Amino acid sequence: MNTQTEPSQFRIFVSGATGFVGRHVVAEAVSRGHHVVAMVRPASSASALDPVAATGRLSIVRADLAAPTGIAEAMAGCDAVLHLAAVKGGDFFSRFAGTVVGTETLLNAARAAEVRRLVAVSTFSVYDYGAIKAGSVFDESFPVIADPRGRDEYAETKLYQDELYWEFGAAPDNHLVMMRPGMIYGRDQLWHPLLGGEFGPIDLRVGAKARPPISYVENTAQALVLAAEVLCDPQTTDSVDGQVINIVDNDLPTQAYYAERVKELVEVPKSLFVPRPVMKAAAVAVAAVNRRFFDGRAKVPSIALPDQIDARFKPFVYQNAKAKRLLGWSPRFGLDEALRRSASSEDLVSKQLMSNGRSES
Amino acid sequence: MTSPLRAAVIGAGAISLEHLPFLQQSERANLVGICDLSPVSARIAARRFDAEAGYTDLAHMLRQALPQVVHVLTPPHTHGPLVRLCLEAGAHVVCEKPMAATADEAQELLTVAATNKVHLVENHNYRFNDEVVALKALIEQGRIGDVCEVDIRMALQIRGEGSRFADLSNIHPIHAMPAGVLHDFVTHFAYLLNELSGGADWQRVSAAWSNHGGGELFKFDDLDATLIGPNGAGQVHGRIRFSCRTSPDVFSVTVRGTEGQASTDIFHPFLEVLGPRPGGEQLTPIVNHIVNGTRLAGAGFRNFGQKLLQHGPYHGLSRFLDSTYEALQADQPPPVTPQHIMAAASLVDRLLDQEARL
Repeated sequence: MNTQTEPSQFRIFVSGATGFVGRHVVAEAVSRGHHVVAMVRPASSASALDPVAATGRLSIVRADLAAPTGIAEAMAGCDAVLHLAAVKGGDFFSRFAGTVVGTETLLNAARAAEVRRLVAVSTFSVYDYGAIKAGSVFDESFPVIADPRGRDEYAETKLYQDELYWEFGAAPDNHLVMMRPGMIYGRDQLWHPLLGGEFGPIDLRVGAKARPPISYVENTAQALVLAAEVLCDPQTTDSVDGQVINIVDNDLPTQAYYAERVKELVEVPKSLFVPRPVMKAAAVAVAAVNRRFFDGRAKVPSIALPDQIDARFKPFVYQNAKAKRLLGWSPRFGLDEALRRSASSEDLVSKQLMSNGRSES
Repeated sequence: MTSPLRAAVIGAGAISLEHLPFLQQSERANLVGICDLSPVSARIAARRFDAEAGYTDLAHMLRQALPQVVHVLTPPHTHGPLVRLCLEAGAHVVCEKPMAATADEAQELLTVAATNKVHLVENHNYRFNDEVVALKALIEQGRIGDVCEVDIRMALQIRGEGSRFADLSNIHPIHAMPAGVLHDFVTHFAYLLNELSGGADWQRVSAAWSNHGGGELFKFDDLDATLIGPNGAGQVHGRIRFSCRTSPDVFSVTVRGTEGQASTDIFHPFLEVLGPRPGGEQLTPIVNHIVNGTRLAGAGFRNFGQKLLQHGPYHGLSRFLDSTYEALQADQPPPVTPQHIMAAASLVDRLLDQEARL
């Protein structure tokens, strides 16, 4: 296994490189001595990566997953693909086209370029939270949703994406590590859906005592880059090949504690508190009425769907032992520092580059 | 009922999500295949909508699945060769609008259909929406007298943030059509004008196509057109307005006649009718207010329920498809005929004609 201080140098292709997670992945990888080929959409700004570009270990390729042109060529010679690009909003088709068909395009390019290692970025949303009793230990053995149909658009499309990932990993000579981060939080994304959500004109805060599976964005980036390193190093590839690895922070806070801390730092939406059992009971009643009187056709806000309430608010004991064991990962930032950095105006990408003392800028 | 028709779809994009639920649920259709260049799109669509198989090659699907009806739902600039292939394989075709870039191309495809003794139908779904059906019934009942004017107005934020038409990283194929993005909508305007005007012969057409937002991506983002012509009972004035600058999004249709007028909005359904009422000339305005006010309030509740039940602006599509399949099963002409298709395509040509430009 690689150590965190002396990784081998690899050439890593990163999709979604200017996104919320991507920019930190790029900075983390470059700070650890790797060369990153960053895929950026043709019309998107790449200014978030300016500090990284100054190191000389960043190549930017302009491409869009809606059109395969140029992606395989840009991947040529890369040791691994780290796939972050996804569509997180919009209707089913927008998500399907952006996330599922986009992944198909990316993986076809990897096959054409003979890049055989994939760090696949999945999500906790593919787990079947209704299948396990509240309070259980939650690790990588947790069951995944068996039938994507009828689930919310995000979970459904991510399940189809996982299907493509597994197919890629099953091919001879291909290697795959399936990374499943929890709810990733960070700057501008501190108030997250595991605290509550919109119900019509009202913002609801649901639950207080659960400790949701959250992962600070820079900690997540650290884990993803470590996964790429372990996968790329021939001596350690087998240790993670075909493995699912969940990523959550250490010492997960309760919803109530996290919400209070965030309120001290940034403005948050005014919300109405609802205990989770009350919300679940209401959702079950709504679902029964929908089935009884509307043949299940009525469109209900996601926060009022029973499986969504389980996925977002049901309490479990989340584990990150496998990530630590296989990747040598130890989340760099605790909650207090993560929140402080998120609420500050510091250039986090530059700081991240400097943190390992490898920046040439 | 006669046996269901073997149906297939080519193109598993956004609009397929409107066609496939009908094909999955209708007793008139048996979904035998879904074809898309993206294997995962074909595979997942086939799984979600219980199709017999997914394909990535149309010719293979035509040979293997032997569909009697193919829905061509690919981007408009690809329609021609795909429609032709299906027709020559002996399948009826339901094609998304715009079926062709010009009336000449539309006529060529209709000729191929006639040669192969199959039907080619363009999707004119809004003709089958509840509100448009109600407007048409009012006209036919003579409630507003002879039709003198038809106004169609659409406001849609096609240049807004997040619009698929405004994405510079992934340029939408509709931009390649003669009217650019507006070609996605102008067929609707054309067939609605023709339908509600009583088949007016638009002898005078003037059209101001503008790109108020500027830039290279959009050919046009605004249309203001006036049309005048006889419909057998008299001269009819038609008006088409498309804007991406006004809010909210609307798709309003107003028909004015010698006795009254009727209005609706396809995006926010209601029906307002101003016409002669019991009570004579003095009370008619008051009765109109009371009747229409009550109707508008009722529409509020009804629209809320319809929103819950996802009975959206595309609800006319399933009615259009059902009546098309019914006709095909009975070996009768489908409800959208070659005459309807050519009248709409010719009107779009006229609107784009340089001589009509303002």
